[in-house]
Amino acid sequence: MAMTATHTHAPAAFPSALIVIAAEVLGAALLWGLLEANSTPVVLALLGVMGAGFALMQIRPQIEDIIVGAFRAARGVALWVGILIVLTYPILLGANTYAMHLVIVALLYSVLALALNFQLGSANIPNFATGATYGIGAYTSALLAIHFGLSMWATLPAAALVATAFGFLLGIPSMRTRDSYLALVTIAFGIVIHQMLNNLSWTGGPNGLVGIPAPSLFGHSFMQPIQFAGIRLPPQANFYYLALALLGLAILSAKRLHESRIGLAWNAIRADELAARSQGINVAWYKILAFAVDAFLAAFAGTIYAFYVSYISPDNFTFLVSVTIMTMVIVGGMDNTFGVIVGAFLLTLLPEKLRIFSDYRLLFVSVVVILFLILRPKGLFPQRQRHYGAHK
Amino acid sequence: MTQPLLSLRGLGIRFGGLVAVDDVDFDLPPSHITCIIGPNGAGKSTLFNLITGIYKPGSGRVLLDGQDITGLPPHQIAAKGVARTFQSSRLFEDLSILDNVMIGMHSRTKTSVLSALLTPRRARRELDACAEEASAILRSLSEELYMRRYEPAGILPQADRRRLEIARALALHPRLILLDEPSSGMDDRDTADLMNDIRRVMRENPGLSFLIIEHDMRLVAELPDDVIVIDYGKKIAQGQFADVRLLPRVQQAYLGQKAVEHA
Repeated sequence: MAMTATHTHAPAAFPSALIVIAAEVLGAALLWGLLEANSTPVVLALLGVMGAGFALMQIRPQIEDIIVGAFRAARGVALWVGILIVLTYPILLGANTYAMHLVIVALLYSVLALALNFQLGSANIPNFATGATYGIGAYTSALLAIHFGLSMWATLPAAALVATAFGFLLGIPSMRTRDSYLALVTIAFGIVIHQMLNNLSWTGGPNGLVGIPAPSLFGHSFMQPIQFAGIRLPPQANFYYLALALLGLAILSAKRLHESRIGLAWNAIRADELAARSQGINVAWYKILAFAVDAFLAAFAGTIYAFYVSYISPDNFTFLVSVTIMTMVIVGGMDNTFGVIVGAFLLTLLPEKLRIFSDYRLLFVSVVVILFLILRPKGLFPQRQRHYGAHK
Repeated sequence: MTQPLLSLRGLGIRFGGLVAVDDVDFDLPPSHITCIIGPNGAGKSTLFNLITGIYKPGSGRVLLDGQDITGLPPHQIAAKGVARTFQSSRLFEDLSILDNVMIGMHSRTKTSVLSALLTPRRARRELDACAEEASAILRSLSEELYMRRYEPAGILPQADRRRLEIARALALHPRLILLDEPSSGMDDRDTADLMNDIRRVMRENPGLSFLIIEHDMRLVAELPDDVIVIDYGKKIAQGQFADVRLLPRVQQAYLGQKAVEHA
């Protein structure tokens, strides 16, 4: 057979499963430490530990290869231990509702960053309008819920359809431009949407929309705490699991598109547009598709956000939001699903935890981006080559 | 007479005041190799860009198997079976060697966004089948490329880059392959390998034709069935290389008026 395994792993010092479990527990513990830390020195110390870890991997790439190899060899263990950790995480956070809130926001930002990753990471389209499509999703479902009494479950597909239509609308004129000009078109689109939300009367103007009703599932209102087997979780846990489900959906979509000819075509466009066209790829259509997929997922995130905080205003969907999402993709790793999620968590938590720097938020983001472009230009977790057939 | 695979009729384009390609007529039969020669800047690569749809012709028509393809977008022309390589090789540098070849199969595969999301097994099977075929194509061209198929294409040396570009072109299942200076940056042995590769590919794919822009006169003398000479955007000669090279107009194009008089 043509596809025999050429990548057999030498017998490692530790079994792959142990490495995988250790890595996942360590990651969860680091996140927990960051969430519970209240003083700046502790946060900085934790960041130092993470930085040292990445520095070590930068100096000794073998370590990175061993960990990646372990995850590849023990895929099943990695998946199930990961699911177990994220399902029980709210218990770990217990009554710390602020930490729970941060995790929910980070989960939603992970979805947004994954949505943008289809464009920025896969196809190198600099779209600065993810915040706008996020807002369109949130406003669509909020308006439908307030005025027509639709439940959140019914508004989810509606919001996704509306935002996807806007995604196409933005995608089509964008095809006439490229690179920095394309970025300008998307910035303009984002600002136009923000201004419209701010000035139209039926969107509530600058006051936004209030009183978005809480969703419920099988008679269980999301305002109620979760009680299960003697464990009592605060009401936010409902939204934690909802956001988690959405992130699961986003990861699955990213994986499936990446492992199809669509992902390959996007990567070809990223590498060389002219050569991609000469291979029979309809470049304009694939770029528009990337806009549509981005809008679709962003609208889901917007809907859940609207129902979670029950109050939205134009200020939730500014240009700065789009820039932050873009930073998450760049820091985490272009076209690496796991990296993008790590980027989203880091850039959600750090500004919250480093409040003393809050006046310098934009400065902070710019310094982070510049540092990453110099030190680790492909992000924390760079894209890995695809593998096919027997040995994935 | 059999229908020509590719016909150009009065093909031309101008960029502002510059006439880059001017009224070119040309027929390429199936299973045929034609070399295009001419001085630098004569309009050879522009001619390729007109055939493949990267430029829209200002005048004239391009026919593939008798079907008018003038002015179609490049991806549609590629899907009709016209593959090409570029003068400065354009690989997808950060993707693996195997991925590069598989992207060449794009127009022969079908998965859409929805089917990738809803029927992932089928999408995956399609891609696995592509991977298998791409591996076979690589293997037939070079065992080394095959062994290194999971490495990024960007690290390959020049001769292998050319070879990979040809593998990518073959992945399209083309009827016509346009090679733009395939031997540039190659030594004599690489060039000999290249000619063997082209001959073998022709044998294995009946009906496949090559149109090759080339400066290496050894290749031009040995490989093609005939040559055409382009100068200042015009076709000035066509025929066997041995005959064409003796024509005064061709010598003038290459050496200049004075040199020919002194020769």
